[in-house]
Amino acid sequence: MSIELSNIHYRYDGVPALDGIDLAIESGELLALLGPSGCGKTTLLRTIAGLEFPDRGSVRFEGRDVTALSARKRHVGFVFQHYALFNHLSVFENVAFGLRVRGWFKRPRRDDLQRRVRELLELVQLGDLAQRYPAQLSGGQRQRVALARALIIEPQILLLDEPFGALDARVRSDLRRWLRGLHDRIHVTSVFVTHDQEEAFELADRIAVMNKGRIEQIADPETLYTRPASPFVCRFLGEVNELPAALHARWTGIDDDGVVAFVRPHDLDLQPLDGGSGARVESVRDLGASVRIEVRDPRLAQPAVAIYERARYERSGLAPGQAVAVAANRQVLFRGEQAVRVELPDSWRARLPYPAIG
Amino acid sequence: MSTLRRPSRALRDPAWLRWPLLALALAFVGLFLLLPLLAVFGYAFEKGLAFYVASLVDEDARAAIRLTLLVTAIALPANTLFGIAAAWLVTRFTFRGRGLLLSLIDLPFAVSPVIAGLIYVLLFGAQGWLAPWLAAHDLKIIFAVPGIVLATLFVTFPFVARELIPLMQAQGSEQEQAALTLGAGGFTMFRRVVLPKIGWGLAYGVILCNARAIGEFGAVSVVSGHIRGLTNTMPLHVEILYNEYQRTAAFAVASLLALLALATLLLKQLVGWRMRRAIPAHDTSA
Repeated sequence: MSIELSNIHYRYDGVPALDGIDLAIESGELLALLGPSGCGKTTLLRTIAGLEFPDRGSVRFEGRDVTALSARKRHVGFVFQHYALFNHLSVFENVAFGLRVRGWFKRPRRDDLQRRVRELLELVQLGDLAQRYPAQLSGGQRQRVALARALIIEPQILLLDEPFGALDARVRSDLRRWLRGLHDRIHVTSVFVTHDQEEAFELADRIAVMNKGRIEQIADPETLYTRPASPFVCRFLGEVNELPAALHARWTGIDDDGVVAFVRPHDLDLQPLDGGSGARVESVRDLGASVRIEVRDPRLAQPAVAIYERARYERSGLAPGQAVAVAANRQVLFRGEQAVRVELPDSWRARLPYPAIG
Repeated sequence: MSTLRRPSRALRDPAWLRWPLLALALAFVGLFLLLPLLAVFGYAFEKGLAFYVASLVDEDARAAIRLTLLVTAIALPANTLFGIAAAWLVTRFTFRGRGLLLSLIDLPFAVSPVIAGLIYVLLFGAQGWLAPWLAAHDLKIIFAVPGIVLATLFVTFPFVARELIPLMQAQGSEQEQAALTLGAGGFTMFRRVVLPKIGWGLAYGVILCNARAIGEFGAVSVVSGHIRGLTNTMPLHVEILYNEYQRTAAFAVASLLALLALATLLLKQLVGWRMRRAIPAHDTSA
């Protein structure tokens, strides 16, 4: 079922939490709402669920206006950040809840209900824990109970609020892959909220990056990464070096003081030099699979950061104190909030490795 | 876990301070709580079991017991309902006057019960504001059962609400929201989600409310008129007997109240213990 949000405004205690959101989610899509805390992503999710009602704007499911419909009538599966399981009910009864509260005529018969709950528990791999209580489960198991409970009503839309937020790192990545697999099997339109860009990239078909109640950019992971629409998106998607014009003019040919080049640490290239007064390697930190190198340039307030794979680092001959020339393999340019597109001359490409700034 | 933990060794006071303090506390409890309680039973049985039983089955005593039970049977459900509704309102909604409602719930704790009684006399009494209307409709409230019920309602007002509000605040509303997204209506949600969550807290409040409804003296005394066999509750009956120098009979009825109090204490402990055990399971986070 597709979801269309148009011009959603929502004020919380007078402060705009959602400030004109337009968003179209296709049927069967898995979309991530990504942003820092307080950006309005959870409010937006709750608006789709009917747990919050916007001051202005409309919510449509498959073209049908549901803006004024309560959560009870929207038939949307919702998984809460802290799961909100019914602690006084067993796992089985938690999952069965959505069927048991139906009106007398719509309630499935006893054996039918048993079968459906069992099926779902098998699906989330909790078949043998049906008689346990939530307090007796681990975080990952509770999470899956919450998911099964949301799916029992056979929703066309599944909403997840920080689904992996309360789990430890290993469980989190396992569950992430499992959820992606599940989505590929049941194909329910899904929206999940996260502040973790890695999570969004691994799971989602498309990602909406939010900031201060607005959507900064909505795109597939690759576009988001290679062509971020704003400096905010670029910064939010991971560590990035911001190099002013003075440093990158020779790479790009743009001699404009207002332009800043955003370069990812693993796109930064360091060439050892014999000496000079320019950039020097300040520190090298071993991260296991890779090595983090900080370069101090007298013209930069912050050290530039490069990340090398271990083998590349060992080949490079870099060491703390080494004078280096800094170059970028890839970069994104912004003038203020505006992206700058430059057509680089072919000759620039041909001159690999790029002209370095010594 | 909220089981009582032993205080840290580092915080223990030296023996020379600990033992006198303990002795002092025990002496106080013995002198002012235990001794009077024993005295009640001692005096009640001073003329033997037969007299004790006779004092309780006396017609006026039976009427007093009946009236007390009737008043409690009305006040308890009414205030339970009110308490749940008020706690629900205060914890789930923000509205104008919410703070005022919160303070008003506490009003009966703050004012003297005698004043509570007087308020009703001034409102419904022979010279009261509503007297002409009541007279015209042939309704009698003061010096009659309705007045006693009203006064009891007033003084037992806060018990259930006061118990539930902090509990419901601590629990939050996420489970209710979950129930909502699963299609549960208001009543179903209350029965299947809210009630199991607040059950023990509710029981605790109801027990306290019950104890107070049975034992209330001041407010009831003002509005009752002490008409023997008609508007005498148990505490009032005790007072009348005592004033008439029927000491043993007075203490016999009083011992019944004391037994009720002991039963209440026991229940309260039991429920409190269950509640403490239940709370870790109520923890929604983690």
